[in-house]
Amino acid sequence: MALTALICDDSLLARNQLKKSLPADFDANIITASNGLEALAMLRTQEVGIVFLDLTMPELDGIGVLEAIKSEGMDCLVIVVSADIQPEMQKRVMDLGALAFIQKPANAAKLTDVMHKYGLI
Amino acid sequence: MTDFSFSEEQRDGLQELVNIAMGLASDKLARYLNTLVHLQVPAIKLVKTDYLPTHFANRYPQQSMTMISLGFFGDHGLRGETIMLYQLANVDTIAKLLGYNNDDSSEAEMLTDISSILTTTFLNGLAEQLENNFSYAAPRILSSRDQHFAEKLASTAKQWQLALQVDIRYQLIDYSFNCDMILLIPGEAVLRLRVILDKILANF
Amino acid sequence: MQLDWLLQPLLSQLNTGVLILDSQHNVVFLNQFITRRADLQLAEVEGKLVYTVFSGLPEAWLRRKLDGVLALQAPAFSSWEQRQYIIKLPHLRPVSSDSEYMAQNCSMLPLTAPDGVSQYVCLLIEDATDAYVYQHQLQQSMSMLELANRTDGLTGVYNRSYWQSQLEYETQRAARYQHPVSLLLFDLDKFKQLNDRYGHQGGDAVLIELSAMITELLRDTDLLGRYGGEEFGIILPETNLACAQLVANRICAAVAAQKILFNGQSIAVTISIGVASYTNQTADELIQQADMALYNAKRLGRNQVAVWTAD
Repeated sequence: MALTALICDDSLLARNQLKKSLPADFDANIITASNGLEALAMLRTQEVGIVFLDLTMPELDGIGVLEAIKSEGMDCLVIVVSADIQPEMQKRVMDLGALAFIQKPANAAKLTDVMHKYGLI
Repeated sequence: MTDFSFSEEQRDGLQELVNIAMGLASDKLARYLNTLVHLQVPAIKLVKTDYLPTHFANRYPQQSMTMISLGFFGDHGLRGETIMLYQLANVDTIAKLLGYNNDDSSEAEMLTDISSILTTTFLNGLAEQLENNFSYAAPRILSSRDQHFAEKLASTAKQWQLALQVDIRYQLIDYSFNCDMILLIPGEAVLRLRVILDKILANF
Repeated sequence: MQLDWLLQPLLSQLNTGVLILDSQHNVVFLNQFITRRADLQLAEVEGKLVYTVFSGLPEAWLRRKLDGVLALQAPAFSSWEQRQYIIKLPHLRPVSSDSEYMAQNCSMLPLTAPDGVSQYVCLLIEDATDAYVYQHQLQQSMSMLELANRTDGLTGVYNRSYWQSQLEYETQRAARYQHPVSLLLFDLDKFKQLNDRYGHQGGDAVLIELSAMITELLRDTDLLGRYGGEEFGIILPETNLACAQLVANRICAAVAAQKILFNGQSIAVTISIGVASYTNQTADELIQQADMALYNAKRLGRNQVAVWTAD
């Protein structure tokens, strides 16, 4: 069965940009959420293998999502894709268990690299 | 009458590009101003210009504000003006942020300095996202202690058709201060901007 | 068309100073706008630290600006309104300007060499002396206008509207700090007869002389204003009723003792004075009370002082 990947970003452009940047050989069922609450609702009801997570979002931001994933012990990988690229922010998301941090707009080569490294493709 | 409004898709696209530009600017600024500064990626809203004076007058009742304007020009008819709004009570924090000693710069100079740093760094990032290049006019103080800022803002905003309201928040370890940035774009440049946005959106 | 040849003549004739510094702030280039005014040669200063080339640069400030431009790759600006000049250069309006150095607007722009690595800052310096001079003239005119707006044209003392606004201010201050303030209203005795006898010019001369004479008798903080035709008011801050009465008596006696010269004739004048002190009444009420006291002084035979009492 194909993996389910969740793209969580409040911007449609960003979601589309990311979808397009995903490696061609990434065989996954892609679902999307436009804020942190939506994302958590999906994570609680279905099996999601990987989350591409934005940080700056309404309702619940990416940090909130990471905290919930950690505290609820959800079994999914998270790659943060954000415009907020300050070193301190990067450290914070890595401490919360994110796999990698990718600067927006997501670069296809970088994305392939990271996914390759963690055996997603 | 020409319609200067944005479709939801265009608005979303612009917001994302502004977000990215602001992220780049924040990172550069944090490195420049040293790591004690944390800049959040700001909230952005597209608003009608006639909404601005009341909005900011309500937001800062009885507070004297300084308004600083900086004009920019890009290729393909893109141009506009940014307005930064500061509470005067923040001047000391700004001085510390920039590493200024109180003796060698006036309040006005510090405010124009921080304005040009914040706006040009942000606009350079935005120009990059739009595949454009901007040049800048020197910052000007539009109003200070002796003039009510909302009136001045009203007369300035009238000349523009589109406003992008950007709330910037700075958090320092020992202090914090807020300022507001407004991006104003004239009608014909709005049309140009939409064309550029559509091109970018068509790629995805 | 090949345009390279344009660069040299443009740079040398440009009415803007062009100064290029490397990332260590050493001089790489400066154009004739600067070399001529500063009496320098590019060959003499090339490669030298800019702070040693131009004396009196605001070094700490300029270092911060230049490092900001280099680090952020974003322009910085300096306006003559905030910092009159950066480099001490002479200007071309030596007579009409009271400033020794050229007022300057300066843009500092980041430049990257074609190698993509070497970074420079370009300083563009524009002469803003004209704007500086105009602004100074404007400020002078404004302050003269402001003075004219509060002065009585004939006597040079404060006019009624300014004087009354000061009375408002002084009574509010007295209320806030619980300090005394007193008011004298005085009137030239038999002014109509004086006018009939010496003409309006004679009357005017008397008002001018009288104002000058009384001004001499007052402290710097006292405020003398012309209230109406021949009626004047004096605000005495920090003065209680007893002291105000003493001042009034002194003024009254001094005026009576002095003769005023007009067209070779010596004119004797007297004044009557009403005195009132602030006791939480409004400025208008205070004026009314002093006016009633003045009326009493007239009624009792003129050339005297009367104090307002509550009966």
